[in-house]
Amino acid sequence: MLANAWLIPLFPLISFVLLVAFGRQLKEGAAYVGILSLLASFVVAVGVFFERFAEGAHDYITSFDWLNIGDFVFTMGFEVNQLNAMMLIVVTLVSLMVHLYSKGYMHGDERFPVFYSYLSLFTFSMLMLVISPNLLQAYIFWELVGASSFLLIGFYFFKPSARAAAKKAFLTTRVGDLGIFIGISLLFWQTGTFEYAAIFEAAHSGVLSPEFITLTSILIFIGAVGKSGQFPLHIWLPDAMEGPTPVSALIHAATMVAAGVYLVARLFPLFEASATAMLTVAIIGGVTAIFAASIGLVQNDIKRVLAYSTVSQLGYMMMALGSAGYVAGVFHLFTHAFFKALLFLAAGSVIHSVGTQDIKEMGGVGKHMPITKIVFLIGALAIAGVPGLAGFFSKEEILIATYDSGNVVLFWLALTAAVMTAFYMFRLYFLTFSGTPRHENHHVHESPIFMTLPMIILAVLAIFSGYVVYAGFGEWLAHGVISGEEGEGHHTWIMVLSIAAAFGGIGLAYLLYGRNNKVSTAEPKGLHKLLFNKYYVDEFYGTTVIKPYTLFGYVLKFFDKYVIGGLVQFTAWIAVAIGRLGQRLQNGQVQAYSLVTILGLVILLLSMTAGRLW
Amino acid sequence: MMEHILSLITFSPLLGVLLLLFVPRDKAGSIKLIGVLVTLIPLVLAFTMFAGFDSAQEGFQFVEDASWINIPLAEGVTVQFNYTLGVDGLSMPLVVLATIVALMSAIAAVNMIQKRWKEYFILFFLMQVGLFGVFTAQNLFLFFIFFEISLVTMFFLIGVWGLDKREDAAFTFLLYNGLGSAIMLISFIALLVNAGLVEGPAGIIYTTDMQTLTYNLTNPASPLFQAGQYSDVFLYGVFFALLVAFGIKLPLFPFHSWILKVHYQAPPPMSMILSGVLLKIGAYGLMRMEVGFFPSIAMEFSTMLLVLGIVNLLYGGILAFVQEDLKMVVVYSSISHMGIILMGIGAMNRLGFQGAIFQMVSHGFLSAIFFFIVGVVYTRVHTVKFEELGGMAKVMPFTSGILLTAGMASLGLPGMSGFISEFLSFLGVFENHPILAAVASIGIVLTSAYLLRAILSVTYGPTKEILVGMPDARLTEVIPMVVLLGFIILIGVYPAILSDPLQTTLQSFLIRIGG
Repeated sequence: MLANAWLIPLFPLISFVLLVAFGRQLKEGAAYVGILSLLASFVVAVGVFFERFAEGAHDYITSFDWLNIGDFVFTMGFEVNQLNAMMLIVVTLVSLMVHLYSKGYMHGDERFPVFYSYLSLFTFSMLMLVISPNLLQAYIFWELVGASSFLLIGFYFFKPSARAAAKKAFLTTRVGDLGIFIGISLLFWQTGTFEYAAIFEAAHSGVLSPEFITLTSILIFIGAVGKSGQFPLHIWLPDAMEGPTPVSALIHAATMVAAGVYLVARLFPLFEASATAMLTVAIIGGVTAIFAASIGLVQNDIKRVLAYSTVSQLGYMMMALGSAGYVAGVFHLFTHAFFKALLFLAAGSVIHSVGTQDIKEMGGVGKHMPITKIVFLIGALAIAGVPGLAGFFSKEEILIATYDSGNVVLFWLALTAAVMTAFYMFRLYFLTFSGTPRHENHHVHESPIFMTLPMIILAVLAIFSGYVVYAGFGEWLAHGVISGEEGEGHHTWIMVLSIAAAFGGIGLAYLLYGRNNKVSTAEPKGLHKLLFNKYYVDEFYGTTVIKPYTLFGYVLKFFDKYVIGGLVQFTAWIAVAIGRLGQRLQNGQVQAYSLVTILGLVILLLSMTAGRLW
Repeated sequence: MMEHILSLITFSPLLGVLLLLFVPRDKAGSIKLIGVLVTLIPLVLAFTMFAGFDSAQEGFQFVEDASWINIPLAEGVTVQFNYTLGVDGLSMPLVVLATIVALMSAIAAVNMIQKRWKEYFILFFLMQVGLFGVFTAQNLFLFFIFFEISLVTMFFLIGVWGLDKREDAAFTFLLYNGLGSAIMLISFIALLVNAGLVEGPAGIIYTTDMQTLTYNLTNPASPLFQAGQYSDVFLYGVFFALLVAFGIKLPLFPFHSWILKVHYQAPPPMSMILSGVLLKIGAYGLMRMEVGFFPSIAMEFSTMLLVLGIVNLLYGGILAFVQEDLKMVVVYSSISHMGIILMGIGAMNRLGFQGAIFQMVSHGFLSAIFFFIVGVVYTRVHTVKFEELGGMAKVMPFTSGILLTAGMASLGLPGMSGFISEFLSFLGVFENHPILAAVASIGIVLTSAYLLRAILSVTYGPTKEILVGMPDARLTEVIPMVVLLGFIILIGVYPAILSDPLQTTLQSFLIRIGG
């Protein structure tokens, strides 16, 4: 079975090719092509997972030569290990759910087949990234994932806001990708390879100097920062909500944005070899977690709240990895994928029905959309970390990991972020679903079965996916990856604190928004204003990067036109002057050519006679 | 046939000239048909050559050598110019590239050339002789003649069929390139006189045979090399003279001004040739003559070449960001991308050279497809200004999709040719100059910025009035787009098709630079 893992990305690729070729003819039938191919991928992924999960199973790796340049061999291939066996399940499952959901959500869109072809392209690229046995192949598909994300964010291409968001997403992540590109290039010249295993070997056998490991790890981490929306490259992710909501669920919540976390996890043995790199990861993750959560407290766009929540949760995962909590970080990636995809799909269901994303114009939606209301509530409870649901298990592990790392500040950051998370999620829940409508919404109705079914499945997972810990999931994940002991200690007081954080946040939200169900319409002031405007990071980049660059461009344009161009004019003038001297009798353009010919002849004769050999 | 395949490729377009002489000038349909069909012949021949090319064989293949001009100077001293053709792993892909782009240009001309078709295609056929000849010639004298043929025909093709200021543009083109060829000619003569000497049974022969020159200049076993009689003035003088000559062609900052005006006025099929093939002569010359003839000097000045390349890359990239129309973005983008070739060469290692050659071919296809699409848009709305365009994806989804995909290829998205060339060039530079390489990497972001800005302002957003009701690409427009993009993707997915035939040739270059 493991040897057949290459089939998993193959099905979406076939689907992509079919949809590009026959999309116009298939119309909305395109959905079935996408759904069936993903179903096939999912089935194989499940088979692969259980085989790898079985007692005594080993990693599988195979590759072939893709490009030979002299002695340099660049290979392609695939591998199956614990981490990516899990990722394959997550990606195919969430993608399958989104494929199903989109059949209802995108119904009636005239570019329906195009949408499905983009989804297939994305899923293919993402699966190839996950299955890569070397850094070059991972980088290749890392870029393709970015490109398909770009296409999907800009799906409503006629909207200027979607155009801007797509461009911003591509460029911001591209800045991060530079880090990876430089990092892996440096690694290549030091180790002679892009293979993960060989690089880890070099890192631990002392071939690479500690400074070099720190440098390359941090460079690669910059790429992860870009992709996973970490501070300070997070700015694109909230804007990416311009894409259709199923896309937000799949790409900008569950899978692609988790790729940065995945990459750090995959390269964990490299990062682990540098304490500085680990600390950098932990700090960036911690700062992002609290930074984004605080912005999420005051936003009024349902998708943007969820987007900031995603940024914050990804920060959580990074913080866990940086605190040597490998299992905690990866486990949270696993559970988060389900409940965050669920929350986005539920939000999409609401948007689809209400026709707005502004929670100020919602309220009382739950009455007409009971299923959506319940699944959203499940998702919210899961992410808040209420005991019994998936998020509780993984979040607690992260808290333990940060505590065990000995960095008290990080621990309190994580706990504060947990309170904020519970608060903004339930602010969202109360304002959207409970109370009475604050706005005339006539056509509020429950969504069709194609949309509710995937939500129900994800809701089940949002509850139960945490229980895999009892099946030895954590030990299995850690096996062979982590050298040392990972936070085995059970700190009851941490569990109590974490539960208190969850209920504290929910309670506060209830007091403020659950009872009277009102949104303040007053202009935000002070701290509220700072948060509402997202700490003005966009404005900061606008004035420190974009404007100066554009200005410099215009200065250079002036230089090119008048200084360089002026020199040309001058040269031309001299040539023409000489030409006039030599060829007074002729007019017209052909003279120029004769001029050059004659000039050439003269030079030829001159150099012939001046040649010193005769 | 295989032993004369290079001559056949080079001169087969003359068949078109012959046929056109018998067609009345008002029979536009027949003229265009001949124009396209005859251009297909060198393409088919070039593919035959590609299939018959032996990757493992050292040196040149399909060599043809015939005595041509012999000038006796004195008793026992002769200046000899032979008709010698041949290709190696460096020139073979460029010949194939040139034939493909030429055919696409011929198809483009069917819609984009509006007058005097007979004269147009006659000149076009003559120009092809120059294009193919430049890459197959193994004698500098012959190289120069082919080079001049392409120059003169291009002069007329721009001067007659360009936009409003075509004559001015043609003049600029000729002035600059003429200056370049004058410098080239001086250099060639210097080479002939100083390094072209062969002592044979019939006495002393002076030749511009490229292999003889390479041998004399670089092989320690050659008598001239041993005599140590090359003066520094000669060596460095010719090295820098050729750098300027080919730098103008490339174009290298600050010699790039001509290309701005020329592209702007040239008819789109000629822009395709100019950017897709003619600029590559500059790159080819740098590789063949700068590195080929003067490996140790090239090595000595490798950092300079590298820095020049980075300057080109960034300069073109920044300027492309502030242009107001699509055509100028493509032009500055060309300047920027030529920087990558120079960087690859400046890396002076296998990966860098490999990247540079990939970039020559990749950019050949990419610039051809860009100028073609510019032509497609221009023939419909007579403008390519950003402020007048927008939302093209709504009315012309196919063309817009191709433009976006080509843009992605150009900014180095994996799966397409641009990635391979960029990746290898940069990786090559990283070996010895990691800091410079890191600085140059900024160019990757700049490229994304200007390409997305340009392409999205044309294709995304609300559809502008001027575009409403415009038809999407028709068959004669679909073919070039699909074919060119097909090659771009082929190289991106299966780069070995281009790199495998190159290895033996690269090895010979590397031995000369002592790598």
